Amino acid sequence: MSTAPPSMLKEAPAHLSKGHDGITGQWSQFWGLYSREFIKTFRNPWVIAMTLIQPFMWLAFFGGMFSAVPDTEIDLFLHLPPGTGYLAFLLPGVLATGMMSIGMFGAMSTIQDKRFGFMKRILITPTSKATVYLAKALGSATRGLVQIPVMLTAALAFGVHFQGSVIGWAAWVIGLICLGIGFSAMFLALTASSTDWQTPGVIANFITMPLMFASGAMFPTSIYPWWMKDIADMNPVGYSAGLSRDVLTYGQFTGSDVAALGYLGLFAIVMIIAGTALASRYLKVE
Amino acid sequence: MDAIVTKGLTKVYDKKIKAVDHVDMDIPSGSIFGLLGPNGAGKTTIIKVLTGLSDITEGDAWIAGFNVRKEPMRVKARVGWVAAEVILDDDLSAWENLWLQARLQRLGDWKDRAGQLLEFFELNDRRKDKVAGFSTGMRKKLEIALALLHQPEVIFMDEPTIGLDANVRRMLWDLITGVNRQFGVTVLLTTHYIEEADRLCDRVSIIDQGKFVASGTPSELKNRVHEDFVEIETSESVTAEKLSAIPGVSNVKSQGKAWVLRVPSAEETLPHIFQALRTDGIRRINVEKPSLESVFLDITGKHLDQAGADVQDFRKFYMNVRRARR
Repeated sequence: MSTAPPSMLKEAPAHLSKGHDGITGQWSQFWGLYSREFIKTFRNPWVIAMTLIQPFMWLAFFGGMFSAVPDTEIDLFLHLPPGTGYLAFLLPGVLATGMMSIGMFGAMSTIQDKRFGFMKRILITPTSKATVYLAKALGSATRGLVQIPVMLTAALAFGVHFQGSVIGWAAWVIGLICLGIGFSAMFLALTASSTDWQTPGVIANFITMPLMFASGAMFPTSIYPWWMKDIADMNPVGYSAGLSRDVLTYGQFTGSDVAALGYLGLFAIVMIIAGTALASRYLKVE
Repeated sequence: MDAIVTKGLTKVYDKKIKAVDHVDMDIPSGSIFGLLGPNGAGKTTIIKVLTGLSDITEGDAWIAGFNVRKEPMRVKARVGWVAAEVILDDDLSAWENLWLQARLQRLGDWKDRAGQLLEFFELNDRRKDKVAGFSTGMRKKLEIALALLHQPEVIFMDEPTIGLDANVRRMLWDLITGVNRQFGVTVLLTTHYIEEADRLCDRVSIIDQGKFVASGTPSELKNRVHEDFVEIETSESVTAEKLSAIPGVSNVKSQGKAWVLRVPSAEETLPHIFQALRTDGIRRINVEKPSLESVFLDITGKHLDQAGADVQDFRKFYMNVRRARR
């Protein structure tokens, strides 16, 4: 306890005793900030429209590139099991890369709060930087999950048939959540000390492109050169895409998928711990 | 009992820019204290270090008895803040902004008080409306309501009336005195408006280049300067000696293209000035009766609106204007 000047009293005001302390207080702060992310996002009609339209565009434009080629030839060229088709192969990859890019929006919302002074309003209350960071990271990861039902609906509309068990589907969703948390945490940590609007975009472009193509999300890794295969072996996007493909497209959930889920969980935990430590130290107010 | 105490409070940016320089304050609980100074004088920096937004480089500070360095979260639970730029979440309603503030302040039982505050500030019928559609005055009122929600002991108001028109400014002055009296909260406000400090504050400290150059009640400060100031700019070439020789002139200072003459009574001295100088050569003449402005002029040799304007403050001002228009 510090030494206070003698003329000052340190009695807690009566109202403070009615508030939440410790973990309950931190949860209160986290829930407020986490909910705000959601309210702000889905009160914007453009965000809702884009969220609904974008999956259709992905499947229409990217999947449409091979529409003139018969499925049998695609399966043969990409070393896919017979009868797969490119759209069914692509969908799990698109979902995985989509979760990767949602972290960028979390980082942009943080920079917006800094630029408009709202971060000062938050941090002038007894809210820790770690709580702000966790609310932003988990908020943007959750926002990314909204695309899952939309994307599945879009895929069904394009004639894709899904398989898999309940356990397999649960593992797939948990894997996507871990991927989203991991990338959101990573983007936010990388932009914690920045107030520049351009930073999240530049970092996202730098990271997203190599991780998207060196992942097996768009094409099977069997057709990659050796150095891209090495990157894909470490790339969490590839693990998520592989897990998704096994469950949704091929209807199986094997030991390698359990290992992939473990890898994604580890990725999320490491990124959250490292990001919280970095943000606690470097999160700028303005 | 003192609400705010600082001892040798110093803030240095980048190891070279001394924004606050060994400031000592003892602000009694329940009072309105004004920090009066030009843009860039260090007023906002003092608020930032007292609220824990920025680290203290040297010295110490206590708010409501809690050390700002060692117990920042306890301090933050006891302070409210009203920004110059009106910082609210425009996507949320008035009630949702209050809800978020209650969450951040860890309040368990806040709805009754939030309702009372909306009533007090005459915002109750707009509680469900998004604040993006609020007028500047309504936004300011809501910001003060947010600052009061957790019953703080101290409210920091950083240039609360900057960029506002005269009507809204007067309304805010009434609100600030009302909040101070009705809620018993200590107010530390920064301003570069003389009239604001004179009208609202129980005590004022004049700050220039990070240092307190004078402190006291507005009356005490004005009593420091018993004489009038005559500021004069001429097209003819005059010297300090010539001006000092004018009957009644006790002191002459050069200030850019102008001269500042200290006289016991401007009314009695002006005829002598017009006799001594060619009247057609007088470009500008300005009489400053004893006021906080003349105190600042006497101590620093500058007018408040001339000193220390920098790019950052212009940016802050224009940001405020843009938001006010929106």
